[in-house]
Amino acid sequence: MMMTKFRPTYYLLSYLLLCMLICLHFPVARAANTTEASAASTKTATAPSSPGHSERLALIRERGAIIVGVKTDYAPFGMLDTNGNPEGFEHDLAADIARRLGVSLRKQSVTGSNRLQKLQEGVIDLVIATTGDTSERRQIVTMIEPNYYASGVTLFMPPAASIKDWADTRGHLVCATQGSYYNRIMQQRYLMDLQMYNNARDAKLAVKDGRCIGYLFDNTAVINDLANPEWKGYKAPLPPTLNTPWAMAISKDEKGSEFERLLGDIVADWHRSGFLQEREKAWGIAPSKFLADTHALWLQKDSDGSDYCRRNTDGNWRAECRNQVFLTSTDVGGLAQLGLWLNETTGINLTLIYDSFDRMQFVKGLLTTLLLTVLCITCSLLLGWTGAVLAESPLPLLSAPALLLGTIGRMTPPLLCMYLILFGFGAVLGESFGIALPAFGVVVVCLSVYTGAGVMTALLDAATTYRLKHAGHGDFRLRFSNTSDIARLASGSVTASLINVSKATMMASAVAVPELLSATTSIINERGNVGVMMNALLLTFLLIIFAVVRIMRRLEQKILARVA
Amino acid sequence: MMDTSEIFQHLLTWTPYLLGGFAMNIWISIVAMVIGTGIGWILATLRLSSHPRRVRASLVATEFSRSIPTIVFQFYLAFMLPSEILLPYFKHIIAFPVWIKAALALAIAVIGFTSDNLTIAMADWKKGDHHAAFLFIPSWTSYALIIVMASSTASIIGVSELLSRCNTVINATGNTQLMLPIYLYACLFFFCFCYPLTLLMKRISLKLRIRYGMTG
Repeated sequence: MMMTKFRPTYYLLSYLLLCMLICLHFPVARAANTTEASAASTKTATAPSSPGHSERLALIRERGAIIVGVKTDYAPFGMLDTNGNPEGFEHDLAADIARRLGVSLRKQSVTGSNRLQKLQEGVIDLVIATTGDTSERRQIVTMIEPNYYASGVTLFMPPAASIKDWADTRGHLVCATQGSYYNRIMQQRYLMDLQMYNNARDAKLAVKDGRCIGYLFDNTAVINDLANPEWKGYKAPLPPTLNTPWAMAISKDEKGSEFERLLGDIVADWHRSGFLQEREKAWGIAPSKFLADTHALWLQKDSDGSDYCRRNTDGNWRAECRNQVFLTSTDVGGLAQLGLWLNETTGINLTLIYDSFDRMQFVKGLLTTLLLTVLCITCSLLLGWTGAVLAESPLPLLSAPALLLGTIGRMTPPLLCMYLILFGFGAVLGESFGIALPAFGVVVVCLSVYTGAGVMTALLDAATTYRLKHAGHGDFRLRFSNTSDIARLASGSVTASLINVSKATMMASAVAVPELLSATTSIINERGNVGVMMNALLLTFLLIIFAVVRIMRRLEQKILARVA
Repeated sequence: MMDTSEIFQHLLTWTPYLLGGFAMNIWISIVAMVIGTGIGWILATLRLSSHPRRVRASLVATEFSRSIPTIVFQFYLAFMLPSEILLPYFKHIIAFPVWIKAALALAIAVIGFTSDNLTIAMADWKKGDHHAAFLFIPSWTSYALIIVMASSTASIIGVSELLSRCNTVINATGNTQLMLPIYLYACLFFFCFCYPLTLLMKRISLKLRIRYGMTG
């Protein structure tokens, strides 16, 4: 492969290009905000109570189907039956909505970490996925009122756990799923160290393998897990806290639209008819106080015989029938005030800069990524070099296994390798020997084996070329001591492989290593500032790659100069 | 504990489903290779042009495509691009599924590769060194295999390819003892696909080099 030498000017130009890209994104956001605002003002001026036209509803009718995001890892609210078909409490709700709209139902499986993103992306029309109704989330999406269920958070623990009180969790490693409303509050309140997984399955397996003391999860779901023979002996003795009602959600642009109104009316009807309690019973869920209370409330009549819970002239439900228990938003002051002002005037939400929690999370992610990069580059080089020397050994006992491992390493996708070791072997090790594998170490091993195999191939290719080139050296065999002979031949592709591994470190987010991508998606989940965070991530990564490329090239030249 | 025959029975039952997932991996890779090679070819042509400005523009674009990490870009596209567009006048919905986003992200890496390697090949061709130019084919195929391997990261943004189907199967059967065999089975898919092709390309490349005395 040709290694063209690039002057810094090219990089500079690239980054200017990127900055233009970012700037391009912001005016769009701003324009969208102003149109929204003007649309809202005209609406209030003309007809306050009639809902606005809904683009989404038009799309659904055009399509003849409604795409609903539902869970498949949260029994009995959303799960897969033995044949792999999705079903559950919330699936019944989705089906009822489709029936009332007169369209077919298309379900899309979502997780706690991606449900609101998918809504923002427009992949789905509606989310019914155990989503807690919080004021932070209301800034990202439109929550349908009234709420249809409620839950709190508790800790799912292995039989041997000795935690008796929430305060005991302080400083401990606790598993959680990305995108849960309580993550941040629990982390701040009890100073627990959260390990974020993408889905409930991975998090529960981590508890089983002893990678954390327990799993922070909704009490409604935990009850069901405890009843499952797979989790015999597991417990959740801590009292549920941060009780929060659940809401269906639609895109933020659909606020005040016909679509929102329609869905709200459907949920209100569910409360009045007792449909929700009937479904709750059908799925074997313990009767919730929330549903009993709302059922009674929504059946109340005014003295004139009309419904007590009805819409005001502004389209909202009567205050007494609305969600009263919003979680408090972050305290505002100093830098934060400036950030909020910027957000209100331009639509740019730079929580990354003004919010210390987000900032810390991002910086921690950055440091983890850098550490991963340095470790992976070093290990890859050492593994690849050792592998190549062993493969060139005259002893078949050494060369054959080295070549085999190299080939297998090169043909196993690193992400698959991580799942294989962490979950596949990890489960066996945890069950048989009580050993818990550290996710960070597994990531370093998998990436180093894959890249090391690439380095090894490059060195072996260079050795072959050397033999072909120098007729007198037909018996050349690579050893640690004579690697300098082929250094110039191999350096280009070795450096390229090592640079590539720094790009691959992002995969670590899939197995709950809190690196940069994981930190970014956590912040997006909480704030909904997709544009800002994605651009910040891309820019940060370009700078990291830029630095790695410069350092690696410089090292390469130094080594080559010394060899020559 | 499950016995071996039971595990094989499970794997056999799910094989068609998993094969469908692997077909998705290959399909994504093909789309990425086609798009990436096309754009890379344009960049390579520009790099060999006699206008210094075109050469510089092409170099910047190549460098850019080489520096963007595929996974970040995959997320970037998944977040930033809509999933379907309703054309206002034709009343027609254009779907923009997530696998296209994954393929586009992978294509970025292919652009950089093609631009670099095709430039060399085209320069060789112009010099009349046609055989050297043919070396592009084995190295292109080897790169395609790297892309097949990288396509498994599409599972992170929700493409139903082999790896995410493995997870689905584990979820659906609710059997955690199946994890190890099923991930190993998936490794076998990749190995059986990539190994023969790698051997073949290595042989072709070596033959070309020896026959035409290109050892450098």
